[in-house]
Amino acid sequence: MRNVAIIGVGYTPVFVSKRIDVSIAEMANEAANAVFRNTGLTIDQIDAVVQGNMQPFECVNLPYLWASEHIGAVGKPVMRIATGGTTGMTTLMCAYYHVASGLYDVVLAVTWEKHSDGDAQVGLAGIVTPEIFTMVMHGLDLITGRGMGGTSGGSTGAAAYQALSYLHHSGADPEHIDKMAALERSNAALNPYAHLRKKTTVEDIQATPFISWPLRYGHTCPTTDGATACIVASEEKVKELTDGNVAWIIGVGSCTSDPCTANFIEGQITDPAEQESCRIAAKKAYEMAGIEDPSKEFDMAELYDGFAHQSLMYAEKLGLCKEGEAHKLLDKGAFNIDGELPINASGGVFSTNAIGTSAMNRPCECALQIMGKIEGEHKIPKKIKKALAHGWGGLFQYNSVMVLSDTPKKSS
Amino acid sequence: MAFQMGEETRTFPITWDVSANKYKIESRGLRILTEGMKDKKIRGIRCHECDTVYIPGPFYCRKCHIEIDEVVEVKDTGTVMSFAVDMADIRGNPLPEKRISAMIKLDDCDAWFIGTVENMDWKDAKVGMRVKSIWVDEPQGKFSDIDHFEPI
Repeated sequence: MRNVAIIGVGYTPVFVSKRIDVSIAEMANEAANAVFRNTGLTIDQIDAVVQGNMQPFECVNLPYLWASEHIGAVGKPVMRIATGGTTGMTTLMCAYYHVASGLYDVVLAVTWEKHSDGDAQVGLAGIVTPEIFTMVMHGLDLITGRGMGGTSGGSTGAAAYQALSYLHHSGADPEHIDKMAALERSNAALNPYAHLRKKTTVEDIQATPFISWPLRYGHTCPTTDGATACIVASEEKVKELTDGNVAWIIGVGSCTSDPCTANFIEGQITDPAEQESCRIAAKKAYEMAGIEDPSKEFDMAELYDGFAHQSLMYAEKLGLCKEGEAHKLLDKGAFNIDGELPINASGGVFSTNAIGTSAMNRPCECALQIMGKIEGEHKIPKKIKKALAHGWGGLFQYNSVMVLSDTPKKSS
Repeated sequence: MAFQMGEETRTFPITWDVSANKYKIESRGLRILTEGMKDKKIRGIRCHECDTVYIPGPFYCRKCHIEIDEVVEVKDTGTVMSFAVDMADIRGNPLPEKRISAMIKLDDCDAWFIGTVENMDWKDAKVGMRVKSIWVDEPQGKFSDIDHFEPI
């Protein structure tokens, strides 16, 4: 298998609630243009294109064909990825597979979501439409959420079960979620490509209402319009096309469990906070990357946190600390930008969530930190040699993990 | 230079007719469950290999990947595995009264039901607490036959 590096990243100029001035295709085009501008490459130098987003959010089912010209895919093989929240990382992994396999040398990955063209809550319901309608036919009270099967607060309501189970098993308090939320929102304030950019205190978070206890409005991600593009290349092409300042993808892993929420028809049997699939994905990625002790070897991590408790929970599942220790490290300041292990210096998905891009922005932020090309004050003030990126999605079931490094793997 | 948004583009609102879709679902286990609920009984399917009891039951074991068909009756009491306290409805509007919505593992089975727990202060709710089903007086063979759960 060949070594593969991220050679450049391109974002839309902004990630905001509503881009009223561009269509979906034009927005994807902005990101593609940005990565060409940042790398100096042209469309002709791209061998293949992978595109990622989630179809139910905008009800556009073949966006990679509709926007083929806008993302530079004409005359090239193009593939579309949709794996829920993990879509972005799965898209980048697909581009990685193209190059690692030796089939292609330079591959463009483009991800986007334009939530304001649809309705995120309807889109999320679209993941389980047959199940929900079957339940409604059998007496589920969807509107009031009372009784059997009833749940409310939309996706936050579903995430609240996971959050409470995590708090119960880890010994963390709801106040730790407030603290993590305040840390990440304050990081986002430093990141020009973040959506919710406001320096935020724990008190600010605690002033927001509960949607579904233990989760507050201030623990919940926004819905964002934005696109991200990224170019990956083989080691030979890195030498030919770049000055060598790239970020190497040295380990990848992804894994699914059974659906552990909303699995009404066959019955849910797994704790949504167990996340065994995260451990399995991490084990695979760490073996590939030669990571022996994840709690010591990473200089930073970008974790997928649609809800603020997930940064703490996944830090544990990914082995960055022991079970039940993430909130203690948070209290010590270890996860701050200038801490021992900065987590979500970008502000995380929790501050910016254009879903198709969300899990690709994690490795892209790692790559930019490694390359020293961060625009904004969320640059981590130490040399980043190894970085961990994580994606989460599906029905609380799917996890993807990517290990990035400033040096390529030695050929075996 | 700060980013300036361009001129507003045109917007075309559409609606999507979901009733045009005709979904088929695996319904045997669902039928066994809902038929039983008419008599205030909860029935699922047990795997003869790993003993996992599913409700509603699929006719294959999701762990062993074998066909299963043993119908079993389980108790209508259970343990709260996790819960949330609903404070807003599905559209985010505040609910008039806070409501405990719990993931409940019924005794003798492995499936986690979701149901509301009533007649208790939400601040007293705990993972691990025991609850029982409160049935409606005249069950119809629907999920709404269990009106809610209450602490034991």
